[in-house]
Amino acid sequence: MHISELSLRSFRNYNDLSLTFDDQINVIIGDNAQGKTNLMEAIYLLAFSRSHRTPRDKELIQWDKEYAKIKGSIIKRNRRFPLEIIISNKGKKAKLNHIEQKRLSDYIGAMNVVMFAPEDLNLVKGSPQVRRRFIDMEIGQVQPAYVYHLAQYQKVLKQRNSLLKDLQRKPEADRTMLAVLTDQLIEHGALIVERRFRFLQLLRKWAAPIHEGISRQLEALEITYDASVKVSEDMDLETIVPIYQEKFTDIETKEVERGTTLAGPHRDDLMFFVNGKDVQTYGSQGQQRTTALSLKLAEIELIKSEVGEYPILLLDDVLSELDDFRRSHLLHTIQGKVQTFVSTTSVEGIEHEVIDQAGIFRVDNGTIDIEK
Amino acid sequence: MYYPEPISKLIDSFTKLPGIGPKTAVRLAFFVLEMEEDDVLDFAKSLVSAKRELTHCSTCGNITDQDPCSICQDDSRDNKLICVVQDPKDVIAMEKMKEFSGKYHVLHGAISPMDGIGPEDINVASLINRLKDEGVEELILATNPNVEGEATAMYISRLVKPSGIRITRIAHGLPMGGDLEYADEVTLSKAMEGRREL
Ligand SMILES: Nc1ncnc2c1ncn2[C@@H]1O[C@H](COP(=O)(O)OP(=O)(O)OP(=O)(O)O)[C@@H](O)[C@H]1O
Ligand SMILES: [Mg+2]
Ligand SMILES: [Zn+2]
Repeated sequence: MHISELSLRSFRNYNDLSLTFDDQINVIIGDNAQGKTNLMEAIYLLAFSRSHRTPRDKELIQWDKEYAKIKGSIIKRNRRFPLEIIISNKGKKAKLNHIEQKRLSDYIGAMNVVMFAPEDLNLVKGSPQVRRRFIDMEIGQVQPAYVYHLAQYQKVLKQRNSLLKDLQRKPEADRTMLAVLTDQLIEHGALIVERRFRFLQLLRKWAAPIHEGISRQLEALEITYDASVKVSEDMDLETIVPIYQEKFTDIETKEVERGTTLAGPHRDDLMFFVNGKDVQTYGSQGQQRTTALSLKLAEIELIKSEVGEYPILLLDDVLSELDDFRRSHLLHTIQGKVQTFVSTTSVEGIEHEVIDQAGIFRVDNGTIDIEK
Repeated sequence: MYYPEPISKLIDSFTKLPGIGPKTAVRLAFFVLEMEEDDVLDFAKSLVSAKRELTHCSTCGNITDQDPCSICQDDSRDNKLICVVQDPKDVIAMEKMKEFSGKYHVLHGAISPMDGIGPEDINVASLINRLKDEGVEELILATNPNVEGEATAMYISRLVKPSGIRITRIAHGLPMGGDLEYADEVTLSKAMEGRREL
């Protein structure tokens, strides 16, 4: 799949922009703070209806403007369809094929995007939250219903935490409602964990050989799921539910004491091992970077196998961070099959062969000149 | 912007209504100034009497001008069947469908700890009393199909289960996360047909 056209209205530092892209490689060149990341962000936003770098939509609206509008024309299985996001002070609208979608799960998944940016190093180094977000977003774009369950889970979690706070002050109060919310939490939580297990099995299958390739056969990557409730990947939903029930019975007193939910997918984590060693703790910077890169490349193949088409790849400022071998490995992997956007401050270091075939866009303070 | 006091008070009153922002409130206020005096008087009277003359039915909790309400008094309706809804508007939606011939119970909300709404804040206690002496055989839980509506249904189900009364949950022919009042009549009657045992 690819994005053929993009138009932006009062989005970040773009006042009014309209572009047509190459269906292979697009290189976005510009000095610092000119709008390279903003452009990538707009494409990302079209896919996920939210930014990759801020949860606050208002930041996306150009200063002193009322609203921001992002429109894209996507080509998937030889068919063209429009996507549109409008952000105003009142909220956000997402339109697929000109029709407004009220639920995120009805919008997400139409366009698939994989982004690799410097902050993705945090995937390995950062807090568990970063890894949960990674796995949740990735499952969401191949399986939109997951987004719905996740939203339900978060709502129940909020309700349950509020109730636990109340019970913390009044432990003698009736616990019927807690039992109800525990049932509800388990219903959505078990499903989320089960979906994550299925996804991990796929991710692992693609990531292992890719990592081996980028590390020149020197490293073996292993990914494991660190669960707050002792369930394992060979289990199905029917097995997971009773284990969850037992766990919540066990920790009820503690949960009331602490006034919060102490187990569930919102407390789980992913762990990465290279040659048997935990990369987060022992990995070098290079190993952490390679791990993140392998995961992103694995996602590309995973989406292809699940959705039937390659996603759009956004490489923001990362090409210069990779050594020659990894860079050419990356470019070789995507060549001829994945529409890719590469941002950089200069073309130096990118192979001529690639540049020669690419669309070149020069960004200067919110305006873009097409060089080719 | 400066308005004479009577107008700014009127504007202020309009902004208290749901869905009406400052701009619309100004437009409505100036429209009222252009209306015939009799119409304005009727309007004001309707507002006051709607508030003063309507109460909640002491049996089912629905809004009514007589107690018990006309539905509760209607002997042709099936006493053995009670449909539990969140809102008086849901009763109207159900009645439009003309397929349900039992009685109602209006909760006036759903349990939501994060909004400080517990079971004692909605009309549940009177439902439990009602079940004790009315010979009810089936309770249909038609709370909204969102997290709070689901939880409220599960809560009531837990309370009522020991009594042996049949409890069913309205099926989700309804848009998930949507409000019952927006459901059209077709989906609603489908939902009634396909209700499931809780
Ligand atoms: N809401 C907004 N309205 C107007 N301008 C904005 C808004 N948000 C950010 N900007 C401007 O956008 C510019 C940053 O753009 P961007 O992050 O795309 O830079 P970049 O080209 O990726 O730079 P770098 O090479 O440093 O990563 C800044 O000059 C910033 O002031
Ligand atoms: Mg940038
Ligand atoms: Zn009544």
